[in-house]
Amino acid sequence: MLCENCNERPATFHVVEITDGEKREVHLCEECAREKKIALPPSLSLNEILSSLMEAHADKDVPELSDVACPSCGMTYAEFKQGGRLGCPRGYAVFKKGLLPFLDRIHGATTHRGKVPRQITRDAGQAAELLRLRRELNTAVENERYEEAARLRDRIHTLREGR
Amino acid sequence: MDLNTLARHAGEWLRGTGADADIVMSCRIRLARNVPDVPFVARCTPEQKAELAAMLSERVLDADIGEGAQYMSLEGVDQIDRLFLVERHLISTEHAEADGARGVAFDVRETMSVMVNEEDHLRIQAFRSGFHPEETWAAIDALDDRIGERVQYAFSEQLGHLTACPTNVGTGMRASVMLHLPALGMTRQIEQVVHAVQKMGLAVRGLYGEGTQASGGLYQVSNQMTLGKSELEIIGNIASTVPTIITMERKAREALMAQSREQLEDKIWRSYGLLRSVRVISSGETIDHLSHLRLGVNLGLVDRLDMGTINQLFILTLPAHLQKIEGRELEPRQRDIVRANFIRETLGEA
Repeated sequence: MLCENCNERPATFHVVEITDGEKREVHLCEECAREKKIALPPSLSLNEILSSLMEAHADKDVPELSDVACPSCGMTYAEFKQGGRLGCPRGYAVFKKGLLPFLDRIHGATTHRGKVPRQITRDAGQAAELLRLRRELNTAVENERYEEAARLRDRIHTLREGR
Repeated sequence: MDLNTLARHAGEWLRGTGADADIVMSCRIRLARNVPDVPFVARCTPEQKAELAAMLSERVLDADIGEGAQYMSLEGVDQIDRLFLVERHLISTEHAEADGARGVAFDVRETMSVMVNEEDHLRIQAFRSGFHPEETWAAIDALDDRIGERVQYAFSEQLGHLTACPTNVGTGMRASVMLHLPALGMTRQIEQVVHAVQKMGLAVRGLYGEGTQASGGLYQVSNQMTLGKSELEIIGNIASTVPTIITMERKAREALMAQSREQLEDKIWRSYGLLRSVRVISSGETIDHLSHLRLGVNLGLVDRLDMGTINQLFILTLPAHLQKIEGRELEPRQRDIVRANFIRETLGEA
């Protein structure tokens, strides 16, 4: 069947229009349907689905979050629920109480068991190294070994700059 | 990057080789990553986006994406070129249609791509032809390590990688396998398969069009959950589910060959004949006939074509590709003519 508007492309949208109680079938191709802004089935965006899920699940759980805004990006909990997206990484900590039950429903879990990024792994090693260097620096200063202290201070400086 | 040089062939992941390539077109894995202390992209100011794009594009390229890798800013790039990148799966539709400083880096073989300032600051992707989920993971895992050494990621010990959308938090990973399942469609078993796969916590959707009867019989199977399981567990779930789908598709093909071989051959050869003589053809019709032809080649019924050619045709006959190949903007009506010419030329006119 050809589209009754352009008579060129195959009709893929079949809609029943009811005007003044009178039924009429309309057969259109996708392009004409889009042009006429009818016939296209409402496509639910992930956003809409998320937000309705959020509304359904998050509302009852955390009334105390209703006035909370993220100190980093200013997103409020209400805004988050509406859009289904966080404003910044910190939002996960700020809205944690509302998020955890929601995450549990989406993922069936609330704890990450996957990959840990390289920099965190390195940072942990680096933190230990910094701690050790600072202790050595203190000892060096206490014992008036200033040359060594200067060298240690430089190491600490380089390590911290490298972050 | 000169996109015109890419226009006449598709990325390596479509060359039709690798394990179970008769059914599995390709594997793709993407990782969502963000920088701490900066808003997610949707809430960035234009200045923040520009700073992020400058910093991230440089570090991503430094992380060695692969041979001939380049970063392409999408700001000010015309619509056809952006759509062209979407058709090649190098960027998402959302990334193409967004505004502000953003871009994509990819290697010359198109096995890796990194979107900068999509929904998340970074969306890293790896592609492979055929069914190689573990190999695809190994490639993206290594690239993620290299980028992770140069870019600090927003990460929480409890929740893992922090992403703009809570549906991606944790691993930030979406692993998907693109499957060609024409026989399951013809034998009307596809809906049961889809239901069964969904029970395994996996999502199934048509590559073209929505609904269970996807056009061209092309489906994507991917994980839904990203939190609470390791990347390898998630990939393992896909790696153990997909072979069952492959077996079912093979059985359906065998059943068709045994019970209605003439009808099947007729369908395939009609599609072949049509594609070789067509003068005007829409993209949707093309996909359906290419699907039949692909099945015919895989069943050994059509032996004069290779799979790479047919796989490529799925991409090269899409609107932006035709316009790049033709070197000019085309109205939909002209496109259908150019598409027909291109298909005839590729398949060798009868």
